[in-house]
Amino acid sequence: MLVEEKKMDDSAAAGSTAGGCGKPGGCGCATGESKKDASAGRKIWEIRTEEQAYAFLSDKEMAETNRYGQKIDLIEHTEHKLPVGRSMFINENPAVGTNPNRNKQHGFFFTADNCIGCHACEAACSEKNENPPHLAFRSVGYVEGGSFPDYKRMNISMACNHCDDPVCLKGCPTRAYTKHVEYGAVLQDPETCFGCGYCTWVCPYNAPQLDPVKGQVSKCNMCVDRLEVGLKPACVSACVGNALDFGVIENIPKNREQARVEIPGFPSPEITHPNIRFQQIRGLPDEMKRTDSMPLKYHKNENGRYQPTIDHKKGKAKHWNMARLSSRENPLVLFTLSAQAAAGAFALAFLGAQAGVAGFVAFSQSAIYAPLAILCFLMIAFGLFMSTMHLGKPHRFYRGFNNLRHSPVSREGLGIAVFMGCLGMHILFSLPANSLVQGLAGNLVNALIGVQTAGKLAAFFGYLAIPASLVGLYYMNRCYRIKARPFWNHWQVGTAFFGSMLSLGALVAGVIMVTTLAVSGASYGDVLLAGAVMLSLGLAIEGIGHVAHARDMGRAEHEGGASYYIQTTTFGKTFMLRNAMLGVNVLFAAGLLTLMLMQGASGMPVLLGWVLVGATLLATSVISRALFYVLVIPTTMPGAFFWKNKGFEEHARDIGLANMPQVGVAPLRH
Amino acid sequence: MLFGRKHRKPISIPVKEVKEWKYTTCNYCSTGCAIEIGLNENGKIVTSRGHAGADVNRGKLCIKGLLEHELFESPGRGTMPLMREKAHLPFQPTSWDMALDKTAAKIKEIQEKYGRDSFAVVSTGQLLTEEFYTLGKLVRGQIGTNNYDGNTTLCMASAVSGYKRSFGSDGPPGCYGDFEHTHCLMAFGSNLPEQHPIIYWRLKEALEKRKFPLIVIDPRVTMLAQFADMHLPITPGTDTVLINAMMHVIFKEGLEDKEYIEKHTNGIEALRALVADYDPKTAQHVCGIDEDRIRTVARLYAKAPAAMSIWTMGINQSTHGSDGVVDINNLNLITGNIGKPGGTSLSITGQCNAMGTREWSSCSGLPGYRALEKEKDRKHVAEFWGIDESFFPAARGLTQTDIFPAIETGQIKGLWLVATNPMTSMPNQPRIRKAMENLEFLVVQDVYEDVETNQYSHVYLPAAVWAEKEGCHTNTERRVNLTRNALPAYADSKPDFWIFKEMSKRFEDRNKIPFPETPEGAFEEMKILSKGAGRTLDISGMSYKKIEAARGIQWPYSEAQAMADEARVGKVEEFNLQKRQDFLGDSRLYTDGVFQTPDGRANLIPVRFVNNNECPDAEYPFWLNSGRVVEHFHTRTRTGKIGNCNKFSPTPYMEMNPDAAEELGIDHQSYVRLVSRRGDAVVMVQLTHRVGRDMVFIPFHFHDCVNRLTLGLLDPYSRQPAFKQNAVRVEKIDQQEAARLNLERRAF
Repeated sequence: MLVEEKKMDDSAAAGSTAGGCGKPGGCGCATGESKKDASAGRKIWEIRTEEQAYAFLSDKEMAETNRYGQKIDLIEHTEHKLPVGRSMFINENPAVGTNPNRNKQHGFFFTADNCIGCHACEAACSEKNENPPHLAFRSVGYVEGGSFPDYKRMNISMACNHCDDPVCLKGCPTRAYTKHVEYGAVLQDPETCFGCGYCTWVCPYNAPQLDPVKGQVSKCNMCVDRLEVGLKPACVSACVGNALDFGVIENIPKNREQARVEIPGFPSPEITHPNIRFQQIRGLPDEMKRTDSMPLKYHKNENGRYQPTIDHKKGKAKHWNMARLSSRENPLVLFTLSAQAAAGAFALAFLGAQAGVAGFVAFSQSAIYAPLAILCFLMIAFGLFMSTMHLGKPHRFYRGFNNLRHSPVSREGLGIAVFMGCLGMHILFSLPANSLVQGLAGNLVNALIGVQTAGKLAAFFGYLAIPASLVGLYYMNRCYRIKARPFWNHWQVGTAFFGSMLSLGALVAGVIMVTTLAVSGASYGDVLLAGAVMLSLGLAIEGIGHVAHARDMGRAEHEGGASYYIQTTTFGKTFMLRNAMLGVNVLFAAGLLTLMLMQGASGMPVLLGWVLVGATLLATSVISRALFYVLVIPTTMPGAFFWKNKGFEEHARDIGLANMPQVGVAPLRH
Repeated sequence: MLFGRKHRKPISIPVKEVKEWKYTTCNYCSTGCAIEIGLNENGKIVTSRGHAGADVNRGKLCIKGLLEHELFESPGRGTMPLMREKAHLPFQPTSWDMALDKTAAKIKEIQEKYGRDSFAVVSTGQLLTEEFYTLGKLVRGQIGTNNYDGNTTLCMASAVSGYKRSFGSDGPPGCYGDFEHTHCLMAFGSNLPEQHPIIYWRLKEALEKRKFPLIVIDPRVTMLAQFADMHLPITPGTDTVLINAMMHVIFKEGLEDKEYIEKHTNGIEALRALVADYDPKTAQHVCGIDEDRIRTVARLYAKAPAAMSIWTMGINQSTHGSDGVVDINNLNLITGNIGKPGGTSLSITGQCNAMGTREWSSCSGLPGYRALEKEKDRKHVAEFWGIDESFFPAARGLTQTDIFPAIETGQIKGLWLVATNPMTSMPNQPRIRKAMENLEFLVVQDVYEDVETNQYSHVYLPAAVWAEKEGCHTNTERRVNLTRNALPAYADSKPDFWIFKEMSKRFEDRNKIPFPETPEGAFEEMKILSKGAGRTLDISGMSYKKIEAARGIQWPYSEAQAMADEARVGKVEEFNLQKRQDFLGDSRLYTDGVFQTPDGRANLIPVRFVNNNECPDAEYPFWLNSGRVVEHFHTRTRTGKIGNCNKFSPTPYMEMNPDAAEELGIDHQSYVRLVSRRGDAVVMVQLTHRVGRDMVFIPFHFHDCVNRLTLGLLDPYSRQPAFKQNAVRVEKIDQQEAARLNLERRAF
């Protein structure tokens, strides 16, 4: 028992002598102190009468390290910092399991040659875990190939792989995930989870399940209750094809001879070092296809291994599908765009004035400076609100900062929050100098703080806000650099986000500053020029990123390439419109800028030109960002024809089948 | 905890506080898996588990069995009896007395007006054996109609008929244990992984212990076909041609078991003469399997020290169903593969208690495999029930598939349906719908009020289901197994046993027969009826307690066998039910080579193939094949409401070859309209090379789907319909219209 585990553990830790031996091979009913008498002697799991050999774990020997060099004994892995024989407190039961290998990393063993796709594993799991039809900790999909009658189907049953490098644990901003030294189980606490769904983005195997009804994630718990009494997980015990097995990792079950880490349809094990091993010996056709709507298939390469390649399932025709741009991730479209715009706008107005550029200084001394800063503040607030509403449990938003150690989501949140805080203080200390405030309550304000002091503090917080915003945006970008989402895992995310910061920021700040200066009759030439340069730079950066991204994804033979295929077909016309608008806008902005720099052009025609550029920019940005979210195809496991088939889910929602709960497709919340 | 975590997060896993485990047998298919239902201290079901000590399933369950305990409170269950004057009027709730009085009165009225046989009863394979026996007693002994059958005519009739023709009696001669002994297994039209997953597991276990050749004969590349050492993608309906050709090779090469043929069979000469016409060279062009393959398989099978055949609907649901069974029996008889470990003709049955209804329901005769045609049997049963022998007809009446045409012609005016849903299960739905409208009176007795057939009924009787009742099932390997009553009947539904018993009181004016109060009382009656010299179907050594202690007992299990076992292990009352007691009935029939024929010899029956199937042509270019999927049972009234089953196929679909689809411009996962000479259906297309270019496959579970298309020509012996040999064409359809139709047709 760890001394640090004060919060929930001390009572049990103090008195764990009574009643049980707590040692491997012991009685399995170690109890806590008298306070917990009610649960004393409670069985962790009731073994069936006349239980069969297939249900029991049977690891007699095991390797020192796994194939990735990690210690299989997790106590050794943690350099004996943790004691053996601790209770897992499953359902707050202080009993300690009798499994002699409970501190060894365990994993599934899947004989792909044998799986008959009978759903017994899924049913046993759902029964035990009481999952509603639209959720499943384990799912069976398949790939198939060949032509009749020389045809093969390979079913794949997949749950959580309790990885050595659990990207879910690292990604989760709430610290809902724990990797235990018991069995190496990666467990997740749905109560801690606030339903952001980020773990479902980063997991390559679709293991964490986001429940749109409950607004939280839940996942495979490795049946640690069964493991504690020496039984294999429920899914394994239920397997009818003798395909699924379980044990200490790297151990090959009786009658099996191979322990591969890849089969067709399974994502690269390099992402997470998953604790699953495969046997797949029977010959398969060179090309294995998916029955679900993912435009991917798998082709045998020269090493006899299967690589993903694009399957042009829906032909080459280009469509608009504008309505489909709207998705569950709409709040994130608005959050990212508004946060980026706010960061850019504030930076332009603030740094311009700090640099002493005349127009900026004039604006900063105007009554409208504070409203611009407040607008930026509100934009971030709106963005954060939208992103909070995107959570399954918005009222738990504060948990988002709990995993600064690992999660880019937490860091992004912190960066944006600090930016917002500093901006707030900046606004507050900018107010004393504001002529409107002076006019309304000058005496009162001046009594509290001198205008000079306030100005210095405002500048101080302004200078703090800029790096905070950059840190926030950097981690916002890192959030999307997900290996399991190759369409996103490209430097274009950075160019898009920082490009938008520049272009949208310049647009927001420019519109307000130029209008203010123009109305007050002041000169806005240098502001317009600075804004124009920044906007054009942003456009150019974004454009370069898009070109490189399209080139790389267009050539890619992976999920990113599949996304690109959808981009150029399902959304083909929308994509072309976006490209055309972006291209024309870049040229137009460059032309205007040239005119301004070379010819000294100014006045209404130039202004109108920039208004046009700005309007086009807004439309392009929204389409681009919406595409960014709807297009991404994760490296999920192949689905079946109905179950885990995005195409069918969409269809069931469209026609109303999803309103019948037994169809297993949860209607989306709106 | 790794990754620097210090604070423990709660680990919450649903706990099922089970106070008591109740012993049951699965109520879906014929495998006969033992399930324990877990009740909490309030008697509520909280979970279930496969019984690890039961020999059949050894703790394993398929998806349906794993989730079966969820069905008790599923939507659509009947809560109270309903009545109405006309089928187009709304139902009115009523009392049991009123509903039963009305039903009895209408039955009598129709019988008086149109004759005793003008009222028909169609039952099922889903009830408990004691209920079948009781229904048989009511129908044969009191109502007295000869038009009484079970829906087993749709699934097992050909096996029954084939067994009777070859061996003189029904009853599968083998057992699952044969997998452990066989040296060659041939599966005809049987896809164990999908239809009987637990039997598949028993086969897989045997194969992992000791490899033996697996031959699969199936027009589709099913999972079993894919795992087979040899897959023979046969032309639909031509199994007898293949088997005849195999026997041709066996005789020609002298591979037959001459001694066995000589000692235990009749008719070898006629068989030799017939199969002489089926040389593989000619046969290959009919059955679609090349002559080389035919020879290889024939030699392998004949030379194996023990070889066995299993089959399911691929054989039974054909115009040559009974002939197919007979031919499989021929093959096994001439190779000496009957009644020996690993050598058998094992029909893999469909419904959980198809065997129970065959044995005890009196559908096709009288209880205990007795025949109406035998005076001795009529006399015996009439005496036992205390009625006049002349009350029994001297020959069997109409089968289910002949009852509907008789409704069509007006010969039958009233119908009682018990736990069967012909509106989804019968072929040629348009014809059935019309027939149903002809009925003057229809009573539907079912667990579900929303069972599609109920739309035509005048009285609806809500029945209890599975462990809401108590009684036995018999499985495919003749194992009688028990379902204990675990919970009360839902709402005001009643056990079928109670319904039949109460109905019998209303027919005492015809014959007064004592009806036992409890299912166990009925079982005791059946035990007495099962006794007799030379009988295979002998359950007299069994009792509920013994069955539970043994986790099922195979028949024959006579009093003598029971006494021998008791001498070995002690009296049953003293047994701790926590540990299995080996009360072992006979694993196999005909081990002595003595059959249930008059002279004790099996019949070798020559089977000539005549192609009367509706084959694909220019207008209807595709074979329409149908079958089961693992997550659904029959007409989905149960599994369609259990989300974790239903979600794997929530709407009808069709497997179609991608090359054929490309020619027609049909996309994966789009809707199409199928048209046959009977009607049309809308399905979603799943493109897969699992089916050949000239075939489509549709799961049969869905209402208003495949049976709108099927023809269902009848087998001349078994009257079982040929569900799997029909011709259709595939047409494009407006996608939105199709989606709307699809949604409309899914009440569940």
